[in-house]
Amino acid sequence: MPAEQALTVLVAEDGAADRLLLAQIVRRQGHEVFTAENGEQAVAMFIERRPQLVLLDALMPVMDGFEAARRIKALAGEALVPIIFLTSLNEEEGLVRCLEAGGDDFMAKPYSAVILAAKIRAMDRLRRLHATVLEQRDQITRHHHHLLNEQRVAKAVFDKVAHSGCLKAANIRYLQSPYALFNGDLLLAAFTPSGDMHVLLGDFTGHGLPAAVGAMPLAEVFYGMTAKGYGLAETLREMNAKLKRILPVDMFCCALLLSLSFQRGTVEVWNGGMPDGYRLSAEGEVLGMLCSHHLPLGVLAPEQFDDATQVLPLAVGERLFLLSDGVVDTGDAQERLFGVDRLRDVLADNRNPDLLFDEVMQALAVFGGQSRDDISLCDIRMSAPEELAPQPVVYSDSGRSSPLDWSLRFELRGQSLRRFNPVPYLVQLLQEIHGLRPSSGRLHSVLSELYSNALEHGVLAMDSRLKRDAQGFAQYYRQRAERLMHEVGGFVSIGLQVEPRGAGGRLMIEVRDSGAGFDVARELARTPEQQAFSGRGMGLVQRLAGQARWLEGGRLAQVDFEW
Amino acid sequence: MAVESDFSQDGKKLTIKVKGRFDFGKHQEFREAYERQCPRPDSVVVDLKEATYLDSSALGMLLLLRDHVGGEESDIRVVHASPDVRKILAISNFEKLFDIS
Amino acid sequence: MDVHINQQVLSDLREVMEDGYLQLLETFLEDSERRLNQLHKARDADELGMAAHSFKGSSSNMGAVGLAALCQQLEERVRQQPLYGIEDLINRIDQEYLVVQRYYRSERQRVSAQ
Repeated sequence: MPAEQALTVLVAEDGAADRLLLAQIVRRQGHEVFTAENGEQAVAMFIERRPQLVLLDALMPVMDGFEAARRIKALAGEALVPIIFLTSLNEEEGLVRCLEAGGDDFMAKPYSAVILAAKIRAMDRLRRLHATVLEQRDQITRHHHHLLNEQRVAKAVFDKVAHSGCLKAANIRYLQSPYALFNGDLLLAAFTPSGDMHVLLGDFTGHGLPAAVGAMPLAEVFYGMTAKGYGLAETLREMNAKLKRILPVDMFCCALLLSLSFQRGTVEVWNGGMPDGYRLSAEGEVLGMLCSHHLPLGVLAPEQFDDATQVLPLAVGERLFLLSDGVVDTGDAQERLFGVDRLRDVLADNRNPDLLFDEVMQALAVFGGQSRDDISLCDIRMSAPEELAPQPVVYSDSGRSSPLDWSLRFELRGQSLRRFNPVPYLVQLLQEIHGLRPSSGRLHSVLSELYSNALEHGVLAMDSRLKRDAQGFAQYYRQRAERLMHEVGGFVSIGLQVEPRGAGGRLMIEVRDSGAGFDVARELARTPEQQAFSGRGMGLVQRLAGQARWLEGGRLAQVDFEW
Repeated sequence: MAVESDFSQDGKKLTIKVKGRFDFGKHQEFREAYERQCPRPDSVVVDLKEATYLDSSALGMLLLLRDHVGGEESDIRVVHASPDVRKILAISNFEKLFDIS
Repeated sequence: MDVHINQQVLSDLREVMEDGYLQLLETFLEDSERRLNQLHKARDADELGMAAHSFKGSSSNMGAVGLAALCQQLEERVRQQPLYGIEDLINRIDQEYLVVQRYYRSERQRVSAQ
């Protein structure tokens, strides 16, 4: 009877006649046979020939079958080498010893060729199954290593991109689980040319690499537009449009964006789908929430996207605490969620802001014990303007060409006033002048301030005194959005004139609006304390620019920069 | 079956019931629930009465469904959502896309 | 001969062993001498039991059913002290082996003559 698959079989049996008979039976079934007369020989033969199956007499001189079985199993390692004990032991104790020594089956004397053939086939099936399982396990391990390596490389690349921003700034503290990115979490921060700080905490749908792929283009838009001085609204619109274009329908990115203006002491917020962020006093008391009012990025078509932001006052020392849903959604063994209430307890109990993250992580550990890899925490403190120095901008050109004698006038009306922000374009244009480059931050601030004054107080006739407190702030910006929604009449006109002066030069900026003007003398007479949030930023402009004048009843602002 | 689908007799209204955790594990079943039928239904009701939990991939699945039945013009109602599930839908402001009750 | 030798087993052996049948007969006869020797020289119950166990196994494989049955009796008997009367059982094994030996020797003669 030929076997389906020829195996190498070790026969260990001390009785010469039994050994002869058994070897012949197995050989006739198509297998290759090695023989041994005792346990010691069997182990030596196993090492030498590595048979696939072993037939082992239980009682043998020198070394018995039990010991031989233990040694052979140890030598075989992970591979399954089935051992069939040859025995006429019929008492239970003996059979138990065979199994405990690693035996897989028994065969009683007198030997039956038919039964032995069936047993060998059964053991061979088991052996193959085991080998397949091992092979698949190894394959999975290899794939897993491969995947981890890919993640490691992707993470290294991404870390470079993410850290090109200003997450290391003195007023930011953050904590992210090591592979949070591969759970879709994303944290970015960068300075605008005028020294405002933009922060994005995002959370892509899904897990693993698919959740991380959207991060690159999002970061690109965030850094690119922030560096050019675009505001949150423009950056959001661009990020949403880009994600909508490139991501599949079921993928999107929950995001919370902030723009901190250290000059004005305000923070602008947009939250689409992220858990509530917290506005905290210097002592850690909750002053307010940054709630989600929008659909996540990448869901709506550009026409439907809502870029409306909220502007809130934020005094020096006050903080914003942001988190990803991995925190509140951490579950315990009973699938209960950590939840917002427990988080607020931690916030309420916190005494030292430096320990807040530790306390949150500690509370999560005590609650669930299950550590999640999608936890991001971020704590941003409002600091005094002089405390933070934005990183110097690196220019890519060599600095030869530097046009110095030109002027332009730029007038915005109607539709353009609603959405278009001319400041980034103008600042970029002015950066062609090398002598102005060191002042580009100030330039950006001054232009932004003059433009928004002309638009808000001039064209839209907004009353700056509204912005006395947080409530007034909200009302002010609601009114601003409403007025922009309706037909906007009037104009804002910006004039730039550049002329050479000796080795340097001079830039003259004129911003004119069609509004009713204001009492310049009275406004300039107000102390900075009186102005606080409700001023027209005139103090700020005067502080940043050398020369600032308001003419034509407040309808024209003139500022000079010299170098 | 953790996802059950049921067509009204005229074939115009599709009701999809999701039971247990509504997460990525239901992806295949949920897709099959609405992709099987041709022509597309005029309106869809997603019944979350027996859904215990909903994660962001479930939100993604709802967006896929919305896209499948006409995007902007789709008529999808999400009904019987538990307070917890509603909270998740609310954070993402999905009531701007779906009729949630 | 049925009490001593199972003819069916023997004919199966002939078929299985093919050309090795003669060698099997000779090996068994030599092996058995050694087993008998062990039975007689055993110093304690354990050694006696081991020898009986091994002899039982090889006899059963060779179809020597009577001999195998006696060996099994011995194997079981040595577990119960005291061992008196055991010499009688060993004698019966000696007697039975003589019958078996005679039979296999003639079988050997017959096969080698072919």
